[in-house]
This record gives sequence, structure tokens and C-alpha cells, in this order.
Amino acid sequence: MNKIENFLIKNFEEYEIYQEKSEYKSISFESNNLKEISVKQSQGFAVRAKKDSKITFSSSSNYDLEKFKSHFLELSNYSIDTKINFPKKSKGSDTIIFNREDFDISNNYFIDKLKKEIDSILKKFPEALCDAGFNLAIGETKLSNSNSLSIDIDESLISFFISAQIINGNDMLNIYKYDTSVSNISEEKISSMTESLKEDLSIAQKISSTPKKGCPVVFTPHGLYQTILSPLLVSFSGTNLSKKLSSLCDREGEKIFDKKITLFDDPHIDFSPSSRNYDGEGIPTKKNVLIEEGKFINGIYDLKTASESSKDSTGSAGRSLHSNPSPSTSNIVMKNGENDFQKIIKNIDEGILVDNLLGAGQGNELSGDFSANISLGYKIEKGKIVGRVKNTMISGNAFKALKEIEEISSNTECVYGSLFLPFLQTNNIEISS
Amino acid sequence: MNSNYKNIISETLKQFKSNYKEIRIEESISTRINYNGDKRENISINSQLGGSVRSMANGGWGFCSFNDINKAPEKMKESIEMAKYNSNPSFEIYKNNPVKIEIKPIIKKDPRAIKLKDKIDLLDHYKEIILSQSSIKGCEIVYGDTERKVVFSDSEGNEIEQNFIHVILRIAANSSDGNELLQSGFSIGSLGDFSVVENLDKEVLGCAKKAQSLIKAPKVSGEETTVILDQILAGVFVHEAFGHLSEADNVYENDRLKEILKLGKKFGNDDLNITDGGKIPDLRGSYDYDDEGTPSTETPLIREGVLVGRLHSKETASKMSEKVTGNARAISFAYPPIVRMTNTIIENGESTKEDIINDTKDGLYVKNWYGGMTEHEMFTFSSAETYRIKNGEIKETLRPVKLSGNLFTTLKNIDGIANDLEINQGGGCGKGGQMPLPVSNGSPHIRINKCLVSSG
Repeated sequence: MNKIENFLIKNFEEYEIYQEKSEYKSISFESNNLKEISVKQSQGFAVRAKKDSKITFSSSSNYDLEKFKSHFLELSNYSIDTKINFPKKSKGSDTIIFNREDFDISNNYFIDKLKKEIDSILKKFPEALCDAGFNLAIGETKLSNSNSLSIDIDESLISFFISAQIINGNDMLNIYKYDTSVSNISEEKISSMTESLKEDLSIAQKISSTPKKGCPVVFTPHGLYQTILSPLLVSFSGTNLSKKLSSLCDREGEKIFDKKITLFDDPHIDFSPSSRNYDGEGIPTKKNVLIEEGKFINGIYDLKTASESSKDSTGSAGRSLHSNPSPSTSNIVMKNGENDFQKIIKNIDEGILVDNLLGAGQGNELSGDFSANISLGYKIEKGKIVGRVKNTMISGNAFKALKEIEEISSNTECVYGSLFLPFLQTNNIEISS
Repeated sequence: MNSNYKNIISETLKQFKSNYKEIRIEESISTRINYNGDKRENISINSQLGGSVRSMANGGWGFCSFNDINKAPEKMKESIEMAKYNSNPSFEIYKNNPVKIEIKPIIKKDPRAIKLKDKIDLLDHYKEIILSQSSIKGCEIVYGDTERKVVFSDSEGNEIEQNFIHVILRIAANSSDGNELLQSGFSIGSLGDFSVVENLDKEVLGCAKKAQSLIKAPKVSGEETTVILDQILAGVFVHEAFGHLSEADNVYENDRLKEILKLGKKFGNDDLNITDGGKIPDLRGSYDYDDEGTPSTETPLIREGVLVGRLHSKETASKMSEKVTGNARAISFAYPPIVRMTNTIIENGESTKEDIINDTKDGLYVKNWYGGMTEHEMFTFSSAETYRIKNGEIKETLRPVKLSGNLFTTLKNIDGIANDLEINQGGGCGKGGQMPLPVSNGSPHIRINKCLVSSG
């Protein structure tokens, strides 16, 4: 990297070098049997350099430095206006994001674990076909810049998933569970995921009658993320705020959502693989309140989008090797409410519980609109979950859905290891079937 | 072939015992230019070099990928050790006649010969066309070209070098009345032909105008209705509604699905014919050999409404005792090949677009795509343009919609197929974390007499 550094010093005023090295292992079972073990190693570097308030970016996983330098100089003729300054180093937090030892746990341990979980499903549902796997990753990132910043970051991740499919006539039921952590996932946690998968399979095999239009809709934490939060967060992204494409633009402090809604981005949750002590540009991360009691507080910014919006970076620069940094969330946490999920369900005479959707996120997300087919959802009748709904679509708008909330549960669940969300009941959702 | 690669490859394949071994080495260089809002946001050149090895033992696979290709021999050893953890019934992998061949890229107008400045000028020009329209809040433009060299060799004696040049362009215009933001866009692409992204002034202006027209357009309410799909959206429909379930890796170890998707079973009406093929020339999903060294083919999937074929890798073909089709594809060296579509097409029918529209009393005309997804027998896909049809006439513009269906009913609900087949090359397909894989989809206009629709 010294050669690249010398080249940058010679040709530019300021620069940043990002180096990434990672190792990834996956052990996967398909149709109840071990199918493949794979190992991926990757490495590469990316450079941003500034001159005359213009910035150039390029990346490579091919260490042909001469080629890299010539591309970089060519690109610098078409560099992009920028107002950003590469930061000096300041102290970040000490959140636990790395555990080296668990990466070395033997393959046999994981294989046995997966076999055991699949067997426990097959014992109850002999006709099921299960896929399951562990993914392990460790990464080393080195970020340095001409402002004498130099940060080394070690990260690790272990994830577990299990899914079961049961086919009945022309109906294909598939249920999937996933969790992830910085270190090994405990046996209790894995067993409880398998147990909950079995419970879901039992209930979901019964197909219920089509829900009435206009009946109450409750989202599971997963359903809430997929349907409502995912399009909503698009509007919080500095990318869309800086371009004035977001409807939240210049509305800081305004009450936009129900008073029951408080939402924040918390990068400092120990053992969450989405936690970070520094962001991808070397800024120390901090908790970022997005919504407080219904009021829009702040967006999610990296250096570029912050500079274009006359704001400060929220330490939210996400990074992958071959792309410029861009704003990204870490752990999204929604404040819980008063009533337990069971109590919420109990009060519903006829309604649906939405857990998984097909085709969410493939529409006009900036407007907050969503529309999707319910791939896993349940019918609620007289306060009880009675079976699965099929061939039913829901649509609505994330902003409208959160404007007036019926209920937010007191219990929360962790989705994908980085979203800490309650169950939520809202109106303003259209059901079609 | 680069002699350095040759040495690494022979070194990697000659040692260690395994039923089957393969190695891929890939070099690529990509140029990307992005616009967002009112300006160019990014321009970059990324170069990559890497390789992977895969081996089979005890009826399962070991796979390793790496950037440092000199490590290939030791990685082969590691992959065999990993494959040995499997304990599945062993099987004989489908054997092709080995070939030693070098395939040059298809080049019509070489994007590598176009100066960076000229690419930027062209895109700046498109950006200006969009921004010059009223009520426009910005544009999104993504241009990319990629040159890929993939060298494949296996323990069966194949030595195949293939070269590809891909060009893609997506252009979208955002409009707003001050409250809501709306978008209209289109995507195109080619194998080795920069000229497809040139001379698009009319299309770009049309895209801005469509974005403007959405501002006043009403939303549809969720309902089951008759829809007429244009060629582009019908192409996405065939990919999602049927294509994914024709991929044999969904089926080969699933006895129930094997019954459901038995060859000879009727899935559509007599005028429905569907084909997939990497051998169909000069499209983005075209190639000579797949990533397991199997020659590409043209595979009839549905003939006169009857399921007659499916897409295979060497493993799925062996296990189902069917013929290989050359559909094992990997998005890059970093991934193992899995069964994928190539160019998927609904063949022409006998009606005309006009006949189909005139014959529709009440329904929607849905055009152009925004996205699509499949989960087993269910699928959704979304239109970028929607118009109401009343008494055989196309009426007002509506907001985009999401369409949803089920393999077993929706294909049978196709009751009109026109004779105006067109192929769209702007798509990319995702499966198993490998995305976007270059594919193309094609179809004539089709009508589905009952389809669940909701406001997109």
C-alpha cells in the first residue's frame, strides 16, 4: 500500500485508503442432508482522493497496481464536486463486535447441531423437507487517511437458519427462522427457534377463510420491518434527504407519526453483527434518534450526504469494497408499548397477523407505499390464531400506517440479529384477495 | 489461455483424489457511472481477479473461492477435505464430451473503445432531457459495462475460456407535485453492443413524460381483474410465474414437487409455449458453455400447455435421469454454479395486440416492469405503467400496480397470446444470494383473465 500512498501524495491533496480482508464459511443442509461446505476468502482495497474540492473513487481486488494507478488518473479527470473532509481520529465506543475463537469451532460441531435440529422437526413432521445452515464470517478492515487517521477493525459473525417445507396438494408451505450474532449462537436459542418453527408449522397447515376487507391487521416484528419500516427508512436515508427526494426533508421536529412511535438507530449493542464503533469513514458512531414520540428528529447521514444537507454526519457510513460509502443503519430499535402481544390478539374478533411478505420493497418506496402478497400470515378469529391466510395481498402507505397506531406490544423480538421490534396493530391497510 | 493460469490450473487439477474437481479463474473490469437527483454522483472503474475450486465427495460438494489465485492448489485440497464431511448416497455426475476451446466475446459496438468522456457526455445529455421537463425532481441513471474473462477446467478434461462484454443502462425520472414522489423508468442491456444505449432521446423524454403523468393518476383498488401485459412485463411474468419452478434444483430432491411438476402435466392452455435457452444467440443470457462446462441448449419447457422440460445442472440432470441443459451458472468466481434461467420466452400466439384489447370489456393494461419475486408456487411482479381498459379501449393512466398469482391457476388463466414477441434485456435475476445475473425475458402481449392486483 506504500506505493499507492506515494502515488496519492504525489497527485492529490487529500486521500483515504480502505482495505478489506474477509473469510467466510458456510455449512449447508438441503432437503434434510448436508449438501455443501464452502469457504470464501476475499480481499481488496478502495481509494478516495481529493483535489480542488473534487473527489475520485476506485477499487480493486486485483493487485495490479500500475493498472490501478492509470485508471485512477483517468477517472480523476471526471471527478465529482465534494465538500467533505476526511476526519481525524477520535475515540469510538468499545462495543463487542468480534470473537475470533468461535470461528474455529469444528465443522463437526455445526454439522451435528444442524442434524439434531432437522431430526427434531422430522420427528414431528416426517413429510417435511428442511434446509438449514450456519454461516461464519470474520473480517479485517483497515481505514487510513491523509489526516493521519488509522483504524483497524476486526469483526465476526455467525448466523444460523432453518426452514421447513410441507407440500399439501398444490399448497406449498414454507417456514423460515434465522438468527445471527457476533459469536456462537447458544444451544437454547437454536432449540427455541426450532420449537417455534414447529409451532408455526402446526398452525399454518390449516388454511383459513379469506379475511374480511377492512379487518384489523397486526404485524409480527418481522412483518413490521418488511412491510412498514423498510420503505419508511428509505425516507430517513441521507441520500434521499440531501436530494430533497424524501418527504421528511426539512421537517425535523415536526410530529409526523403517532405519539406511541419512538425509533432509533443504536450502533452500540454488544454482540450484534450490525453494531459498529466507527463507521466506514472513521467517524465514531453514536445512538441516533430517528423518531421520538411521533416527532421526526434526524436522518441517517454519512459525510457526503451530511455536507450536502448542512448537517453533521451521524456516523452512519456503510461500506462495501467496490462502492462509495453511503448512509446505512446499524441496529434499528422501536420502543415497546404497554400490552402483551397475546392480549392484543385477544381483543380482535376477526383480523390477520402478517409475518412474511412476497414482493415487499418492489414499488415506490420513497412515497412509503407498500404492496405485497402475504406469503406467511395468520387468521385471527375471536381472539385466537386459527390458521393461515392464502392468496391475499395487503397494501398501504408506511407514513399513513404509523400515523395512528392501535397497539404496540410490550414484548419485542430481535429480527435478523439487528432489528429490535414489537408487534404492531394499525389500521389504514388495504386487504385484497 | 494465459500461461500463468494454465500452470495454476494443471497444478490444481492434477493432484488429490476426488470423484470430480473443477476450477474457475475470472478476471473482470467494470466501469460504472451513476446519476442521482440533478448530477453525476459516481464514476468508478473496478477490477477484480479471483478463482474458485469445487470438488465432490460422498455425494456432496466442497467449494473454496479466493482472490489470490496462486493459492488454488491448496484450496483444492481444502475443498476435498470439506466435501468429505458429506455422507449422501454417491452418484455419477453427468459427463459431457470434453472440449478445449477459447471463445471470443460477441462485439458489435465495443464499449471499451468508447472514451470515458463520450460515455459521460451521452449520459449528461439524457440527464438534461429529463431535468428540462416541468415537475421533474431529478433522475436516476445507472450505466455499467463489464468485460469478463472466465477460464474453466475440470477433471473430465474440459478447458474452456469464455469472454463476455456486458452493457447495461437504467434510466428513471422522478416527478413530484410537491407532496408525493413518483418514478418512471426503463432498463436495457446488451452483450457487446454499446449502440443500444445510444440514440435514446425519444425514450428518455417519454420516461420523463410518463413520470409527470403519474402525478395526477389515481390508484387502483385491490381486486381480481383481467390484465393485459405488454411484452416487457409478460417477460417478467414468465420468469417469475413459471421460470423459477422449472429450475430442477427446486425439484430434484423433493418427491412431492416431482409429482406436482411431472413432465407431461398440463399447466396452460393449448396456445402456451415457453422456452429457455442460453443458446439463443446474442442476448444477455446467451453463452456457449455454462459454468460447469456444459454446452448451452435451447430447452422447450412448455409445449401446447404441457410441461415438457426443465433446466438442469450436471448434478440435477444425473439425479433426475434427464438431459443436461447447460443452465448451471455462477454470478462470479466467488460463487458455485447453481441452476439458473438464461433467455426465457413465451412464444408467439395467433392473436394481435389489438384483438386482445378490443375483446376486453373491463381490465387493466400493464406495461414495463419494476420488479418481481417468486416463492414456490406464489409470485408477484410489478408494473411501471398502468392504464384502464373499458369496452375495448385504453383509457386513463393509473398508478403502477403489483400483480400476484399462483403457478397452478395463473398460467391457465392466460386466455390471449399475441404475435408480437419482443425480448427485454434490461433485467437481472437474483437467487441464492447471487444477483444480478444477466438474463433476458421475452413475450408477446398476453392477457390473463383473472389476476390479483393491488396498488403498487
